[in-house]
Amino acid sequence: MRVIRTLIIACVVVLSCGPAYSAEHTLVMHHMELEEVTAPVRAGDVIIFDNRSDMTHNLYVIYSDGTVDNLDTQVPGMQRKLTLRVAGPAVIKCWIHPIIRLEMEIGSQDTPPAP
Amino acid sequence: MTFRRALLCSIVVSSVAVFLAAIARGNGPLPGVEISAGPAQMSAAAIDELKAKFRRPAAIPFPKSNPFDEKKKDLGRTLFFDPRLSVTGTVSCASCHNPNLAWSDGLERGVGVTGIPLPRRTPGIVDAAWLTALMWDGRADTLEQQAALPITAEHEMGMPLDVLTKRLNEIDGYKTLFEAVFPGKEINATTAIAALATYERSLVSNKSSFDRWIDGDELAIAPAARRGFVVFNTTGRCNKCHSGWRFTDDSFHDIGLRSEDIGRGKFAPPSVTIMKHAFKTPSLRNARISGPYMHDGSIKTMEEVLDHYEKGGKLRPSLSPEMKPVKLSRQEKDDLVAFLETLIGPPLAEKSPELP
Ligand code: HEC
Ligand code: HEC
Ligand SMILES: [Cu+2]
Repeated sequence: MRVIRTLIIACVVVLSCGPAYSAEHTLVMHHMELEEVTAPVRAGDVIIFDNRSDMTHNLYVIYSDGTVDNLDTQVPGMQRKLTLRVAGPAVIKCWIHPIIRLEMEIGSQDTPPAP
Repeated sequence: MTFRRALLCSIVVSSVAVFLAAIARGNGPLPGVEISAGPAQMSAAAIDELKAKFRRPAAIPFPKSNPFDEKKKDLGRTLFFDPRLSVTGTVSCASCHNPNLAWSDGLERGVGVTGIPLPRRTPGIVDAAWLTALMWDGRADTLEQQAALPITAEHEMGMPLDVLTKRLNEIDGYKTLFEAVFPGKEINATTAIAALATYERSLVSNKSSFDRWIDGDELAIAPAARRGFVVFNTTGRCNKCHSGWRFTDDSFHDIGLRSEDIGRGKFAPPSVTIMKHAFKTPSLRNARISGPYMHDGSIKTMEEVLDHYEKGGKLRPSLSPEMKPVKLSRQEKDDLVAFLETLIGPPLAEKSPELP
């Protein structure tokens, strides 16, 4: 009985704060630019970086708190996934090609997605 | 041709293609070596399409924060040639960026006030207005940011900026020159650097025979150079990095030189493998035909540069994935050099100005 109750509570907790709002977006990488993600993105969302260009890139995300997530090298055709960590304005840049730059507003995790 | 024969033919052709693709992917006897079917070739239409990517821009981009002004440019020229900007009074910007040596110094590595060779080679600075990342490792973003670096660097001009301000204020002739450009403003490092940067932006390469060819004069360059252009953009793979009208992607790559210098790696977290030994792709316009080449001046001749790209550079985790050994015949190498020579335009007519 006790076990079942704990399980139910655990389930509710996981469902309510876990993947409830988290969404997946694709960000297409072109020759020397990144295509903007049109849907609103929030912390906890997963971005699939899809290198559809003919060159190797190495993107990184600078969050509003100054911390950085590095995506590592992506040869043409390669996809990489990243879970956005920090809400606020972020900048996506490329180590190899400093002219590549995309600004992104990351919403906070508990705001529901825009209709 | 009967249907069966056509089918057989296409099976043979496609299996050869699959086989070649497998070799090119590195499964064959020579991993990584690209197989080129004879000399590089391209249709006239494809060449025309390619040529459009090398057209020169119409105007110099001046930033809003430091717009063009003729007198500012002239003041910048005077400062550029003035050795009093260095602590010893002996080294000017032009000592290392010498107009008679394609705005460089002909040396393996630059030498400034202390006589101790700098860690890296002096690049030319023509077409600097278009630079988006400055220095071999991209440690400056603008010409304004950059100019303070050589002035203050111990082994370049060794001049603290406050001493520079003091010295400029002591030279009477500069009072009128600065006042004409920056009325009511102080003579200091900021105004001096704004003038220097404006002058540098005005240094635009003259059109070379290559540009005349791009503009439509078919005979402006010899057949060898035209073939070289195709090699550059196909089998040679040079355009993977030396792209656009300045022949640079303004980006950073490890091309597998032996140097210990980690270049841009110094500015990236250690986990960013690809930036170790990465340096900025230099423009190939007005490249020294007599060398030495590369950030450390380690390659002496153009022939050795081509040898380096044939071998594909030192294999290490940071080596650019765009670096693959290429196969170049004797003829293709000669054609490439003939092509690179068409990127050399008439030198900018520039004399040392009279100093105040
Ligand atoms: C002692 C030699 C020396 C002197 C003097 C010198 N430079 Fe340089 N310059 C260099 C070297 C070497 C580099 C490359 C340094 C590096 O990337 O680490 C360089 C790089 C540059 C670049 C960057 C070019 C590029 O493609 O990124 C510019 C612009 C430049 N210098 C302008 C100047 C100006 C303006 C002055 C005078 C205020 C000056 N330099 C004085 C040696 C010199
Ligand atoms: C992976 C990108 C890449 C490719 C491909 C490439 N280059 Fe380079 N090239 C560079 C970089 C980066 C440098 C500077 C490297 C350094 O100094 O560490 C350079 C330097 C040079 C230089 C020396 C220029 C100078 O001023 O010192 C020449 C010449 C040159 N390349 C020609 C070529 C030719 C010809 C090809 C094709 C056969 C080619 N490159 C292919 C990136 C590339
Ligand atoms: Cu990139």
